[in-house]
Amino acid sequence: MKKLLLEYANTFAYTITGLVFGCAFFLLFINFYHMQELSETVDVSQYNDNNKASIESKVQTIKDNIGVYSQSTYRGNLSIYGLNNVQARLQNCIDIIESEEMMKYLELDEIGINDSYNFVVDYKNNILNDCLVMQVVSMLNTDTVQSLTNYNVISPLVESNVNSLLDSVSYVQNNIENSDHYYFTTDSNKNNFFDLVEDSYSTTMNSYQNTLDLLVQISYWYRSIVLGG
Amino acid sequence: MKRIFNGLFYGLKFLLLIAAFSLSLFIFLRMNMRLDKSFVSVLPQFIPFVILLILFIVNMLFKQEGVTKCLFYNLTCSLVLTTIVLVSLRAIMDTNMVLNGKYGYGIDFNFFDNFLAYIDMMVYGLIISNILFMFKEKDNIKDEKIESDKSNKSKRFKKA
Repeated sequence: MKKLLLEYANTFAYTITGLVFGCAFFLLFINFYHMQELSETVDVSQYNDNNKASIESKVQTIKDNIGVYSQSTYRGNLSIYGLNNVQARLQNCIDIIESEEMMKYLELDEIGINDSYNFVVDYKNNILNDCLVMQVVSMLNTDTVQSLTNYNVISPLVESNVNSLLDSVSYVQNNIENSDHYYFTTDSNKNNFFDLVEDSYSTTMNSYQNTLDLLVQISYWYRSIVLGG
Repeated sequence: MKRIFNGLFYGLKFLLLIAAFSLSLFIFLRMNMRLDKSFVSVLPQFIPFVILLILFIVNMLFKQEGVTKCLFYNLTCSLVLTTIVLVSLRAIMDTNMVLNGKYGYGIDFNFFDNFLAYIDMMVYGLIISNILFMFKEKDNIKDEKIESDKSNKSKRFKKA
């Protein structure tokens, strides 16, 4: 009886060791795979060249549109305080877009997961918060701007766009932060669903372009009221 | 060949246990500093490591061959401890994990935290199997003694 129990104990010991071996083997290799996945780099030189050209063209359009107004030569009926306000706020946005902090991402030829993450964080801080919320939204809440022509047209457009833009990249940031956990991405998943490096970067870039489109629309509104006024 | 591998893994498991223990201790201390907790609160996490070290020493001192000569057990110990070392090193050094740098602690606690349950499970598994392999040795020794006694008796009987 004792011998039988000892044999069972021996079998049990081998079983436990086997299970521990399997678990350790799995964890060791999933770690190597995870490490390899996180060190992936993507070539974005062509993509960045196209986006840089597009961004520079939009910034130039905004500059041209806000350049039509000059307080010293303006002879229209609109409030110069309102016009000055809009011009200054849009100029601040251009300064942010043209800052080295944002432009450095357009110079990259290859990106890794850290670049995608830093890009989404800087985009949220500089463009969404400092430009859209602090400049554009607060500009629309001032009395002097509310008195300008067609304010009722531009204000709801900006509000709805800002709301969707503010939420547009939060999931990208969360996705990258969660990539520190173990997960089972395959090449098939990457190709068909969401590549953490490439798709995060392009999603942020699309949102960035949409923000610039909104600023261009605001600048066209500004141009039309200055010239019309 | 088996003896060479067994000797290699047997020696390796001691070195890896020390490395795994030191790295885990370092990460736990940093985690506690961040949360302003006392050192006492992390002690339970090291109990399995200490028990395993005591068992290794007992195996070595009492020459328990059921454990020390079991290649599979020594290989598993080395594999488990290598995994713990690798995960600890990644938590400290893998800068591709964004949370490593985000909070400025230089260690990805989030990543290491995920692994704690696995560490406990694997190390306790090694402890239990080590204890069970000790019984195997006693059993074998008894069997060997009985067999040698029987053979001695039969030799004497033949001589007589």
